[in-house]
Amino acid sequence: MENNYLLAIIFVPVFGSILLPLAGRISERLRNWLALTFVCVSLAGSGLLVPALFAGKVPTISVALPLGFNFVLVADGLAVFMALVSSLVGAIIVLYSFGYISHYDNRNEYYFMVVLFLGSMMGLVYSANLILLFLFWEITAIASWRLIGFFREKTHVIRADKAFLITVFGALAMLIGFIYIYGKTGSFDLAVIKAALKSNPIPDFVVALILLGILSKSATLPFHTWLPDAGVAPSPVTALLHAAVLVKIGVYVFARLFVVTFPVGTVWLTAMPIIAAVSAIVSAGAALVETDMKRIIAYSTVSQIGFIFLGFAVGNGVGVAGALLFILMHGLAKGGLFLCAGIVEQNTKTKDITKMGGLFATMPVTAISFLACSFSIMGVPPFGGFFSKYLVFAGAVNSGQTFITMTFLVGALLTILYLFRLFNAIFLGEGALTSKEGSKLMVASVAVLAILSLLSGIYIKYPSDFVQMAVKQMMGI
Amino acid sequence: MPSLMILIPLFGIIALNLIFAGSVKMRRWAFVFALALFVLQIAVAVFYHPAFRNNSLERIDSFFRMAFFIDHLTFIMFICIGLVSIASLFVARYTMPDESGRFKFTNLLILASLGMSGIVMVKDIFSLYVFMEITAVASFLLIAYPKTIESLEGSFKYLILSSVATVLMLSSIGLLLLVSGSTSFTEIAAGIDGSRGSAFVLLAIGLFICGLFIKGGLVPFHGWLPDAYMAAPAPVSILLAGIVTKAAGIYTMIRIVTTLFPYNQAVNSVIMLIGTISIFVGAIAAIGQDNFKRMLAYSSISQVGYIILGLGAGTGLGIAGAVFHLFNHSVFKSLLFVNSAVVEKETGTCSMNEMGGISQKMPVTGTTSVIAFLSTCGMPPLSGFWSKLIIVVALWQAGHHVYSALAVIASVITLAYFLSMQRRVFFGKLKAGLENIKDADRGVLGVSIILAAVIVGVGVFFPFVYTTLISPVKEILIR
Repeated sequence: MENNYLLAIIFVPVFGSILLPLAGRISERLRNWLALTFVCVSLAGSGLLVPALFAGKVPTISVALPLGFNFVLVADGLAVFMALVSSLVGAIIVLYSFGYISHYDNRNEYYFMVVLFLGSMMGLVYSANLILLFLFWEITAIASWRLIGFFREKTHVIRADKAFLITVFGALAMLIGFIYIYGKTGSFDLAVIKAALKSNPIPDFVVALILLGILSKSATLPFHTWLPDAGVAPSPVTALLHAAVLVKIGVYVFARLFVVTFPVGTVWLTAMPIIAAVSAIVSAGAALVETDMKRIIAYSTVSQIGFIFLGFAVGNGVGVAGALLFILMHGLAKGGLFLCAGIVEQNTKTKDITKMGGLFATMPVTAISFLACSFSIMGVPPFGGFFSKYLVFAGAVNSGQTFITMTFLVGALLTILYLFRLFNAIFLGEGALTSKEGSKLMVASVAVLAILSLLSGIYIKYPSDFVQMAVKQMMGI
Repeated sequence: MPSLMILIPLFGIIALNLIFAGSVKMRRWAFVFALALFVLQIAVAVFYHPAFRNNSLERIDSFFRMAFFIDHLTFIMFICIGLVSIASLFVARYTMPDESGRFKFTNLLILASLGMSGIVMVKDIFSLYVFMEITAVASFLLIAYPKTIESLEGSFKYLILSSVATVLMLSSIGLLLLVSGSTSFTEIAAGIDGSRGSAFVLLAIGLFICGLFIKGGLVPFHGWLPDAYMAAPAPVSILLAGIVTKAAGIYTMIRIVTTLFPYNQAVNSVIMLIGTISIFVGAIAAIGQDNFKRMLAYSSISQVGYIILGLGAGTGLGIAGAVFHLFNHSVFKSLLFVNSAVVEKETGTCSMNEMGGISQKMPVTGTTSVIAFLSTCGMPPLSGFWSKLIIVVALWQAGHHVYSALAVIASVITLAYFLSMQRRVFFGKLKAGLENIKDADRGVLGVSIILAAVIVGVGVFFPFVYTTLISPVKEILIR
């Protein structure tokens, strides 16, 4: 039974997405609701896998194929957690798109790509085979290329190309790393690889190659530049790219390979937190001086991803748990921020914060949602972001990396500064812009994300139980 | 039986010209005949009965002084020849309004495909040469068909370089005949085996391979190729890029290398080196092009580099990957040339800088071009990804780690020039002055959709395709 859920989670959205342009020819409404249904199938399916997980089962599908290209899907705690977070935020984003995208061209392509993207994300998190993982990884790159260039402006298309080229370059470097592993173990199957590489760490240059892919996908320094540029995409897409899904792919694969599957050399225990720290501090600084609303939020994403990497890289259970929670909290809150920014942008027709001000009066719900999501990202209790940040710091201190932890504290301080600056510039003070509240669906979507950010903190027990179970599986305790 | 693959088109052409050439109305049947022929060819390859394989027809076969045989590699080539010829045929109907000109075109097309069918079925080196020449002569005429300065120049360049290749190969055949006393593949292989290390044989091998490099348009022998592809009329470009250079140059190289001198390390290293150079030179040259067809021509050079790189790995897996990529290349490159033909016909230009946002007016052509280019770049889950992956894995397993890594990284350059093409032609805002263009006629759109479906289908059902079609190809090495 669980195996059927697993197949449906991936293949309903992936193959269903092809139907959407056809459905769009019949009726707009039909296509929109079909799109939402497909994403909800993934969400519901992943939800249905949870009881099995707590019962200690790990649903697995394995079909042997020639050349070690086995088709293997494994729904362990890490995978289900990622799938739940991505499909939850994804479903809200699709709902928001109903209002946002309704008056632009190429809507059929938009829904096709968004659902294909989310379906591939499901495929990526559940696949336990490097080639399958790579396959879905690249499909997400193709979809985001079309989505960033959605408005067809020349600069937009150039930026779409840039994002595509950077991530593909990283992915190909990663592929060389995968092929090295294949050469050593004769299979792309993660279970086989895990058994074969149990005691001997893979060489550092292979880790570096794979990291190239991960860092470029997660927009971590020095491959981060495509992410702020990608802000030209429609707002639901930037939310999708940044918050929920795309940048988390890199982090997820980091956890899947370097935490779960094979041991890496000890040098990475120091190197990885340093890369993460540099990324977190530099991009936080960039967020402080930018004046484009979406670019600020994008830089903030780059910065927060550094925290997640830190959690996974310190190599103890507390840090990993913190990083997993961070993925959830950041997905909800950052998705909310981008969608708020989308409402503001659509109603004021600008992204320049120096021209804004005083929007609180005309769009109160958006403003309050924005503030709530900001609190979560800053790590203000009782919002969810507090717990995740705390656990990441605790994990880092436990591993004895005091200096790195201090650096990240500075990063957290900067987060508070730039988010207040952003809120202040958009919603407080006085401004000349006339505006109105967004459409009901759009406002409802951001409100839901804001409330979820708060609830996930108040009822931290549920996500944290799940995460602890996942961590136990991952670390093999 | 295999000889029918030659006889039917041969007598078909004679009949067409004797009986049907008289009236314009009757000439239309040439299209139907050609289409039926190519469909038959694919059908034979896909649904073949084992009895068909090498069952000889005594009376008819005695007509030839040569023997034919069919193996898995031949089947794959049949499918390629059929698919590309059909694409070319439909595009000709779309772009050549002149009925009598098209009649000549159709005849030459059948002749060229006859030549290629011969190339992939023979088992002695001299017949191979004869069929190569048939294909080449048909190609010269096809390229020169519009009789413009450019097309004549392109045809002339091809003619000259092809003659050089011919001379090289003929000399080589002469030398091999001296060594082994025969022209059949098996006896030559035995002869070469017997005189291992002789400089004489080495010279013969070198000459032959050089001739094939020219035929296949590999760097540094690629000078004729971009001119010929660009100057040729659209349906001919499809034929040349999709299959003619692949059958005459690359298929032959695969066949010759695997049957005559397998496991020859020197030959393999030369092939790998030339392959890698071709990949990079072709891709880098493609970045700077403004002419759509010229860019595709350079891209062809680059992709052919991948094919022979796989061949150079010298293992069964590498050869399977090479053949797989050859098949995929015929499909996606034909599709890209079909796209370019439609764009050229509708906008009246091949200059990419004068286009923009055409997808809006040509949804099918735009979408299929995206599928084709992503496959060329080796993007999963499309067909090109798997063939490149097999080649790369084979190279790695054979210990050529550097070549393997280079082949992977070169995909970024491929992606770069294709993204530039997409940005200038299809993706983006519609350029002023192009408001009135429309998509191609139904026949061409049908062909585009079928080719795109093949790309996606082969990619998605890769394990099935691999086990039934591609993996058996390895047997040619063992024999």
